[in-house]
Amino acid sequence: MFHAKKPSSMNGSYENRAMCVQGDSGLVLTTDPKPRLRWTVELHDRFVDAVAQLGGPDKATPKTIMRVMGVKGLTLYHLKSHLQKFRLGKQPHKEYGDHSTKEGSRASVMDIQRNVASSSGMISRNMNEMQIEVQRRLHEQLEVQRHLQLRIEAQGKYMQSILERACQTLTGENMAAAAAVAGGGYKGNLESSSLSAAVGSSPHPLSFPLFQDLNIYGNTTEQVLDHHNFHHQNIENHYTGNNAAATNIYLGKRRPSPSFGNDVRKELLMWSDQDQDLSVNQPFDDEHRIQIQMATHISTDLDSLSENNRGKLLERLSPRRSPLAPMMNPNGGLIQGMNSPFG
Amino acid sequence: MHCPFYFIISMTMNHPYDDFPNLLFSNNTATATSTSSCVEQHDGIISLDMDWDCDFHDLIESMMSDKGATTESSPVLPCYHGQEGISNSSSTGLSMADELDHDVEADESKGLRLVHLLVAAADASIGADKTRELTRVLLAKLKDMTSTNDRTNMERLAAHFTNGLSKLHKEANVQRQYGPHQHPDVHDRVDVMLAFQMLQNMSPYINFGYLTATQAILEAVQYERRIHIVDYDITDGVQWPSLMQALVSRNTGPSAQHLRITALSRATNGKKSVAAVQEAGRRLTAFAESIGQPFSYHHCRMESDTFNPSSLKLVRGEAVVINCVLHLPRFSHQPPNSIISFLSEAKTLNPKLVTLVHEEVGLVGNQGFLYRFMDLLHQFSAIFDSLEAGPARGFVERVIFGPWVSGWLTRIAITAEVESFASWPLWLATNGFKPVEVSFANRCQAKLLLSLFNDGYGVEELGQNGLVLGWKSRRLVSASFWASCESSE
Repeated sequence: MFHAKKPSSMNGSYENRAMCVQGDSGLVLTTDPKPRLRWTVELHDRFVDAVAQLGGPDKATPKTIMRVMGVKGLTLYHLKSHLQKFRLGKQPHKEYGDHSTKEGSRASVMDIQRNVASSSGMISRNMNEMQIEVQRRLHEQLEVQRHLQLRIEAQGKYMQSILERACQTLTGENMAAAAAVAGGGYKGNLESSSLSAAVGSSPHPLSFPLFQDLNIYGNTTEQVLDHHNFHHQNIENHYTGNNAAATNIYLGKRRPSPSFGNDVRKELLMWSDQDQDLSVNQPFDDEHRIQIQMATHISTDLDSLSENNRGKLLERLSPRRSPLAPMMNPNGGLIQGMNSPFG
Repeated sequence: MHCPFYFIISMTMNHPYDDFPNLLFSNNTATATSTSSCVEQHDGIISLDMDWDCDFHDLIESMMSDKGATTESSPVLPCYHGQEGISNSSSTGLSMADELDHDVEADESKGLRLVHLLVAAADASIGADKTRELTRVLLAKLKDMTSTNDRTNMERLAAHFTNGLSKLHKEANVQRQYGPHQHPDVHDRVDVMLAFQMLQNMSPYINFGYLTATQAILEAVQYERRIHIVDYDITDGVQWPSLMQALVSRNTGPSAQHLRITALSRATNGKKSVAAVQEAGRRLTAFAESIGQPFSYHHCRMESDTFNPSSLKLVRGEAVVINCVLHLPRFSHQPPNSIISFLSEAKTLNPKLVTLVHEEVGLVGNQGFLYRFMDLLHQFSAIFDSLEAGPARGFVERVIFGPWVSGWLTRIAITAEVESFASWPLWLATNGFKPVEVSFANRCQAKLLLSLFNDGYGVEELGQNGLVLGWKSRRLVSASFWASCESSE
């Protein structure tokens, strides 16, 4: 016997019909001229179970599902269409979960949208999912950026420690002597190392005046500071009133130099007097650090460059520039976006 | 065991030999084109009546015709060498002022000449005995023309190559032997470490390998309580602090993951390498302690070139990761057999992940020395160009690049030992390893890293499971990820 049942809440786009009846088998059928099967939650669950048993929506066929489900009154027709919708409905999830596939995953979401264009409920769901996906990726990029900074710093700290350690072993006595000469030149073992030879002996007129001026093994700490500050101001003049540029430089073109433990010159001087802190280091927020680093690199670059090249170099550091190489960048669309919101 | 040698990937090489003239030809069509007497080569004997301005393309063609390589007709792509130098050395791209044009021309024709000479010297150096004198003459001329302090990239690079070839040449007269090469200009440890650090600031070359591998490891062991990394060549352990930091930051309290690293040392590399491995252990332990990461370190000595997995200490329930980072400037010889043995045996440990990072050079199988020499020249030109200018660049070049070039030249000259795999990834794919996909986060990180350096770098995908760092059109380093076919996901 058929019992008339009040239609419960609409389930997607399947049925807008008024009346649903429930048959003997427990299936809910609508009473309109073309009886449509109502996929209730329980029925759908059984369907999902059966599909899972059969090895997934791709492996299952309507026939086998019908057999496994063992629900009377269920026809192949019902199952065919439901399986198809189930497969398409599952696809977006699979793509999003497996985000390591190439950029084609975004394309396939588009494909899916086209395929189920008739099913308006699915469209809105896919759009939503796509938005979520995009947001997720942006978030992930932010995470990557944050993590990278931390990792680089950790690596830099480690390298400084091994370098210090290696030097300590080599120059034990010399360091003690040098430390006693506070503020004096550092004349350790390093004087004889090929570093000083290499750095000091570069004969070419265009080699960096910074190094030669500094003559790091002879200068006092104060002299080095003055040198740094001078260049620091030089750079500031270039970027007057353009804080955005400086910030962008930090985010977009942050030199990892300090973090990779580079400013070895500073390190060398620090060893000569462990207590005296280079004031350069103190306000050591990243921006400050970057400008110092840039100063040492750029000031000399700028001096020796011709007009054109200087312009080019400055342009590279300006905010509108995207630091990412355009080639071989399948994620280009997404990554470009990274520069603007965080600039 | 199936011998994987002599795979030839013809066009997957991003640096096909016929690309090589691109390296040298420039926009400047004023290159000398006199064809009065080009270099003729018969059986390795080069006429000394050379016209040094002859068309390089013809030179290559005549030298290569019997080697079976194909050459294209004269290309006009701009060369990229010589753009960045210690000074702002001229190149076709940058220089605008009129008065510099002449210098550009001079530089480039000198660059071409240097390459001529290098190639000729290389070819002569492996020739029969009667070319020994020729080699000497060529090398002498090269030494005369170049110095490691020169202005342009090409000159300095040529100087390093000249030195390398000279060593080869000398050693050819003496009995060749394997083992650690004592270069007369061996630099002390501090210099090497300093230069290493500076190199990290000049190029993403080193850190691309480290960070990409580390990211893949982090993802693979995300839910493991115990992690065991077997590191084939730990060098100074620089790869691991970033991993430790990442572990510490994502685990809090009781969910801390325990990290164990076993570093290998090969007896044939001598006592110094053993000491280095132990020192790395001390430093890493100290670092781990300073950030609160549970850590233990083991040193596994390989007495021969065969790796015996039972010499490792294993703990139940730990996830094993095999880390094989091979792209660093190597001062000690690492024969491919040792690496093969390591990878094959390591497979029996059922590793969760195998990371492989290597340089994209010397990988073409079944090619002669000259081909490999040119490939090497190409690779190092690219690396030289890609380095950022800086005050310490000359220092880095002398301390790191000199020995690096020499090491490679020695390696490719010993034809029996050369890494004549077409590529390591292919070997892995055909020896029971399956690829592990590169994540979105990893690709992101690589691109971010590149953005911190010169333009011109790019990241390419290497199949599904790898990334390649390249400079302009040249691949430099690739990182790929694998798991053993039997390992459960």
